[in-house]
Amino acid sequence: MTEISRELVHTLSLLMIFTSFAAVEARNLRHATLAYLAQALLICGLLVAYSVGNEALLYWAATALVTKAILVPWFLWRSTSGAEQETKPAIGFGVSAVLLIALLLIMYKFTHVHAGLFITVTGGLAALAKTNLAVAFTVFVLGLYAILTRRDAVKTVIGLCLLENGVHLSLVSLAPSIKETALAGIATEVVVTVYLLLYIIGGIRQKFGTTDTFQLSELHW
Amino acid sequence: MLIEMPSVLPILVILIPTGAAVLIYALGRLSGQLREAIAVIGAAGAFIVSLAIGYTALHGAVLTSVGKQLYADPLSALLVTLVSFVGLMATLYSLKYMGHQVHEGDLPHTTTSGRLTAFYGWLMLFIATMLWACVSNNIIMLYVAVEASTIASGLLVAFYWDKRSLEAGYKYLMLLTVGITFSLFGCVLVYAAGAGILGGSKGLLLSELKPIAGRFPATTVALASAFLIVGFGTKAGIAPFHPWLPDAHAEAPTPVSALLSGVMLKVAIYALARTVSLFYPDFPPIAMFALGLGLFTLVLGDLMALVQDDLKRMLAYSSVSQMGYVLMGFGIGTQLGISAGLFHMVNHALAKSLLFLAAGAVIYSTGVRHISQLGGLAKRMPVTSFCFFAGALAISGIPPFNGFQSKLALFVAGANAGAWIAVIIGVATSLVTVVVALRAARSIFWGKTIEGVGGSTIREAPASVCAAMVVLAVLCLAIGIYPRALYTPLKAASETLQTIRVTRPETLVRENTCTKYRLPAELRQ
Repeated sequence: MTEISRELVHTLSLLMIFTSFAAVEARNLRHATLAYLAQALLICGLLVAYSVGNEALLYWAATALVTKAILVPWFLWRSTSGAEQETKPAIGFGVSAVLLIALLLIMYKFTHVHAGLFITVTGGLAALAKTNLAVAFTVFVLGLYAILTRRDAVKTVIGLCLLENGVHLSLVSLAPSIKETALAGIATEVVVTVYLLLYIIGGIRQKFGTTDTFQLSELHW
Repeated sequence: MLIEMPSVLPILVILIPTGAAVLIYALGRLSGQLREAIAVIGAAGAFIVSLAIGYTALHGAVLTSVGKQLYADPLSALLVTLVSFVGLMATLYSLKYMGHQVHEGDLPHTTTSGRLTAFYGWLMLFIATMLWACVSNNIIMLYVAVEASTIASGLLVAFYWDKRSLEAGYKYLMLLTVGITFSLFGCVLVYAAGAGILGGSKGLLLSELKPIAGRFPATTVALASAFLIVGFGTKAGIAPFHPWLPDAHAEAPTPVSALLSGVMLKVAIYALARTVSLFYPDFPPIAMFALGLGLFTLVLGDLMALVQDDLKRMLAYSSVSQMGYVLMGFGIGTQLGISAGLFHMVNHALAKSLLFLAAGAVIYSTGVRHISQLGGLAKRMPVTSFCFFAGALAISGIPPFNGFQSKLALFVAGANAGAWIAVIIGVATSLVTVVVALRAARSIFWGKTIEGVGGSTIREAPASVCAAMVVLAVLCLAIGIYPRALYTPLKAASETLQTIRVTRPETLVRENTCTKYRLPAELRQ
């Protein structure tokens, strides 16, 4: 991999974290969808940058483009039609932003230090893989944070998408030689899960008149 | 010694119900009878192929397909037989039951025919995905298949499309997908470590990973095990990852509840056992952790079941508890422990499916699902009454039903491994199960007749509904009376998993002062 490619990968990786932050913190669901779309395009760019010397990653990039950058944002966009504003989250913007930045820094630092334990590649690529893995875990944790703290059901789906992006990104470092069939299986499932979740959320909106998960209290212990 | 043999059967067992689903979607709206016939043929076809897989597995053959991507060893054979059998029973039960549950005009823009077509289509896909998980030898595809079973059952959970089922469907899909994503991380870590040793795509195959898992770095093993336990444990209803379970199992249509509780949980714990047991011989603390989690699960599940008034929720919490027993067996980690865990898994699949189907029959006839609002149904519903009591006695571990045999085997395994605290907790919780199950059975069938609930119009459920229950009840009794019939497949299945190494000589058969129970020769090492 050339020096330019490495720099490009570092930059794209770090931009992934910013897009995650935007997707979690944007109160307008369509803005959050656009942040997610930007992240999906970054993943495609990363995969293309990594594909120097491993052409199989180009297939990954194409799969990610179709599933993450086209289908999922389209589903999200459709489901937010007429209900663009997110239900007020459990934690306000200021506190949430501080918490998120703290979480982000801790996760990134922690994973970056310990990532070497799981990386199989050696030489110059090892440093790149460490950054990639640190970003992947950080995006994963930010997705989990969104699911746990957001009240709006559509926003929790965006959180789930971030979670999946984190895992997807980690595959580049941990399993670059994984078979395309396995990858296609993972990518397809994300799309179908998101579609079904949004379909059910549509039903919830009809029956409950809201997508606020705090209002889902028909079932008790 | 197992001999690998290429075969089309592992593909067929997945393709038959998948094909049935496609046909149902294509032709299901033309005729109700055609739709139901395709569903029954699909489920029965999968069961027949499963029996063929089981037969060959018992004769020492491991069937492989698609370059060992699909792999049917004795453990897979046991699971596919169980899944396809319960699937067939649930399909037969659905024929009358679902027709009664769905009415024209329930939902706008949807016809009864359209809804039932969707129901049977998703049901077939649900069975197919579970069977796929059972024969998958590729660790990533194992995750894909387990998650596919979540997707296939998501709309079945929300099938009634009312407030309760929509809430349950949302929680089900969201919590399980988040949980299962953890297991993907675990699978990827295992693959990465395996590929580093084996090279290339061999690191994906569970059968290839088994001999080399001891060479993985301890940190990788610890992190991967944690991810796998959280991921597959969530799907298996292991506490504290179980909150989705009572909602989904209670709100889904009864045949789906029977499949969820009866076999889907087992498929998840199978995935957990397949992956985590890779590390048992060299990292025994993982087994200890599983044992602790199993004990916590069985106690919490039973305590929660004790305070439920909704019949289906009570059964759902009871499933949490029984999965704790299965995990306890896997956590003991010896071959007897794993055999006993598998034995209990089979017995619980039969007994809990039976209980859910019987609960469905009660709801079918009375329209009521709260235990406190039911009473005195034994005279009007004698078959359902017999079947519910059979299931209740089975999960309580009362002889001569099957649950007694597997719980006894679990306790003997625990005692042999020196896990006395686990045995004491297991026995004590079993007593709570007796209270939970028999109190509900007595209240519903023998208790005072509640006025205003169906009144004199209450009748026994239709023959096809009763037939599925009677078959399961007879099996619960038959296995309880003659458990030996299952010992050979159980022993063969348990031998495919890695066990912990014991430092002291262990005789699986021990006649000591605490128990005179002597295990049969088939289960001895």
